[in-house]
Amino acid sequence: MTETAATVDRSGPPPAGPLEPYRFPAFGRRALAGGLQVLAAPVARAPLVDLSLVLPAGGRFDPPGGAGLATLVSALLDEGTEARSALEIAGAVERLGGRLETGADWNVATISVRLLAEFLEEGLRLLAELLLTPTFPADEVERTRRQRLTDLLRRQDRPGVVASDHFNALVYGDTTYGRPLVGVPEDVRSVDRQTLVGFYRRHYAPGSATLIGVGELDPEGFAGLAAEVLGNASPGEAPAASEIAPPPAGRRVRVVDRPGAAQCELRVGHAGVPRTHPDWTALSVLDTLLGGKFTSRLNLNLRERHGFTYGVSSRFVPRLGPGPFVVNTAVANPVAGAAVREVLAELERLREAPVSEDELRDTKSYVLGVFPYTLQTVSGVLYHLENLTVYGLPDDHYAPERYLERLEAITAEEVLRVSRERVHPDRAAIVAVGPAAELVPQLEGLGELEVVGM
Amino acid sequence: MPTLHSTLHDAAIRPQEVTVHTLDNGLRVVLHPDRRLPLAAVNLWYHVGSKNERPGLTGFAHLFEHMLFQGSEHVSGTDHFRYLQQVGGVANGSTWYDRTNYYETLPAHQLDLGLWLESDRMGFFLPALTSEKLETQRSVVMNERRQRVDNQPYGLASERIHELLYPPDHPYHWPVIGYMEDIAAASLDDVREFFVTHYAPSNAVLTLAGSFDPDDALARAERWFGGLPRGPVPPPVAPPDPDFGGERRERLTDDVQLSRVYLAFQAPPYGEPGWYAADLLARVLTSGKSSLLHEDLVYRRELARNVAAYVLPTELTAPFTVVATANPDRRPEELERSVAEHLERVAADGPREEDLERARNRVLSGLYEDLQTLDARADLLSQHATFFDDPRRAFDEAASYDAVSAEDVQRFARRHLVEGGRAVVTVVPREEVG
Repeated sequence: MTETAATVDRSGPPPAGPLEPYRFPAFGRRALAGGLQVLAAPVARAPLVDLSLVLPAGGRFDPPGGAGLATLVSALLDEGTEARSALEIAGAVERLGGRLETGADWNVATISVRLLAEFLEEGLRLLAELLLTPTFPADEVERTRRQRLTDLLRRQDRPGVVASDHFNALVYGDTTYGRPLVGVPEDVRSVDRQTLVGFYRRHYAPGSATLIGVGELDPEGFAGLAAEVLGNASPGEAPAASEIAPPPAGRRVRVVDRPGAAQCELRVGHAGVPRTHPDWTALSVLDTLLGGKFTSRLNLNLRERHGFTYGVSSRFVPRLGPGPFVVNTAVANPVAGAAVREVLAELERLREAPVSEDELRDTKSYVLGVFPYTLQTVSGVLYHLENLTVYGLPDDHYAPERYLERLEAITAEEVLRVSRERVHPDRAAIVAVGPAAELVPQLEGLGELEVVGM
Repeated sequence: MPTLHSTLHDAAIRPQEVTVHTLDNGLRVVLHPDRRLPLAAVNLWYHVGSKNERPGLTGFAHLFEHMLFQGSEHVSGTDHFRYLQQVGGVANGSTWYDRTNYYETLPAHQLDLGLWLESDRMGFFLPALTSEKLETQRSVVMNERRQRVDNQPYGLASERIHELLYPPDHPYHWPVIGYMEDIAAASLDDVREFFVTHYAPSNAVLTLAGSFDPDDALARAERWFGGLPRGPVPPPVAPPDPDFGGERRERLTDDVQLSRVYLAFQAPPYGEPGWYAADLLARVLTSGKSSLLHEDLVYRRELARNVAAYVLPTELTAPFTVVATANPDRRPEELERSVAEHLERVAADGPREEDLERARNRVLSGLYEDLQTLDARADLLSQHATFFDDPRRAFDEAASYDAVSAEDVQRFARRHLVEGGRAVVTVVPREEVG
């Protein structure tokens, strides 16, 4: 190195050194007697282990009249088992300095615990206890019901949540995705204990579960312990979910009146495709380029050029069913109309002309370059293994050669094709939450318009 | 039989390699090699924050942070993010009471890119400053304020509690993001003066963490930053005494469904033994379902939907806050009284040993979790270098928690939560008010 502080060349970005490729952690896969799958990834980042049981028990299985059922069942798993009460369970984990979480998204339910590696056995036994022996005590059911109703009440405090709820209702109508994952008051009020237990019996069969362990663990020991604790559990298969077919619609605008709101929350979009769709990689590239990074088309336009907003993003949301494509932002009230028109113009622009080679190359190198960032934590690695499980992706999906291969196949013509096939500004649902008196005049002419109260 | 806590502590935060160097211009360079992933974290702390502002010019340090991403002499417009994102870098910055940080995590072979960008804006920011850039960022920051505070439930209450806890001329009185009228009034001259006063190498710490050879990394840091001029010593902040006796109370209405009460108290500054006693007490009170306030107020009595206690790691003095949201049809006065009863009990009897152990174990587990990423480690190293002139202290913080006894916690509770002054803000739903 011959440059010194006095002679260093600042005129442009300095040349890079030789690239070191990342390695995705190796992991083993095994099936137990009843069908339960075990994935174990030894990762020496810190003396921690992150353990997760994944079940086919997500919100996609919520029946009509049963919005919130999946998340209520998952919330109750740690509120009492045959051996212990809710407080005893919480106390046991917290005494160890660990973290226990039960939850469900649209796809699956998960029971997970994170603790110091030396307590792996306690953690695994706890997961098995919650999976196999929850008792859904009547008083806990009622307490959970009260808490859920309170949480539903509070959603209207947050204009972003209000915007998303209305957007999903507009796009998905009467289908499962049209109602919030956490439920609606009438359904939460009326669900009974028997229904909760029935859902648990249908969707928490151990044979349909996947156990994932990441961290400072020995894969053989982990699999052996899993076999001991879960190996004799009853077999079972994942129930089939009904298809979600969003109703077709043209462009329409819904203004949700919130007088005195300091800002306008905006959502623009429509239904997309399931994550398992063959075009998914092309859509991810499109996503990032359009609204998935600071230097995206939408952000450079709405934030950096116009100063309309603190930030804007767009996304094809990954789900087993056809998740939404949604542009998401909050803007100053006087520029809401202008902001929506810029968003629509950017969507049109994608469909009109291929992206430039520079933009495409920059986007691909961003996507591949940031990936190893998520490998720094045990929970980051766990998250990727959960994705492999939920979507049935091949084990080498995240290996750098595979990732690169998928990205190299995406040309500007491919991006143009999926833009034309999957991005439809003329059919978009547009939701604006803010003072209607100020917003309605700006949004006229964009489509059929309705105003609703809070 | 070793106690759980001693087991955790023996495992402790594993010894980490950390070296410190000071360049001729006063810039401290902290190096922490870690070759497990092909990544490098670049982290820069400037020892300036909202505490260096004055009434009438609040929010300025944060607005300035935005300006520093708008380019410098050799980096135009939004090229800062473009160069980083092109190679898969992740970058951001943040402003707080006592400091402003700028950071990026990059593929390891792009370390020079991060060093070039940071040194260019440290040394060559002014030539690229334009009023057009200021106007756009002013608009962005105003939107940020609306999005994070004005349009959020309880947003204004969370500002009001600090306004009550600290007198108007105390640097912690006003919010970091500042007031809308001050953001509107900031001028280009203010920006220039701020840069010259505070953004000097001698007022900064540069930490590099990740896959590199430390001698090579130091040579690179010297190459990119060594030629920058030293800069002035910024004027010290001389805060008025924040202590006050008695109570300051206010009742607000907001567009919310549930009432909420904030109670705030003074705690010793971050780094002092009393601060660690306060932090452990906060966790004894509200960390986890089996914590004191959660078990009583949320689970058993269903008085509150949730409750949180925390103490901020701030330099001049630290606010210790308890926030509790009431369930529907429960009065915030009853909630406040129940919280106060718990605080009085701890002040009288101290915490139970098992509760203290649980809190300590949660802290240690949390440190392990947080320190998995390079950027978190780099930021912690910069923090300890800035506040204590000792980056290695970052990995010894477990010892500070170990040193806290039940009596220490009791003494803190008595002196600061019962005998000391307090600020209380109560928020009630707008519909309730006639």
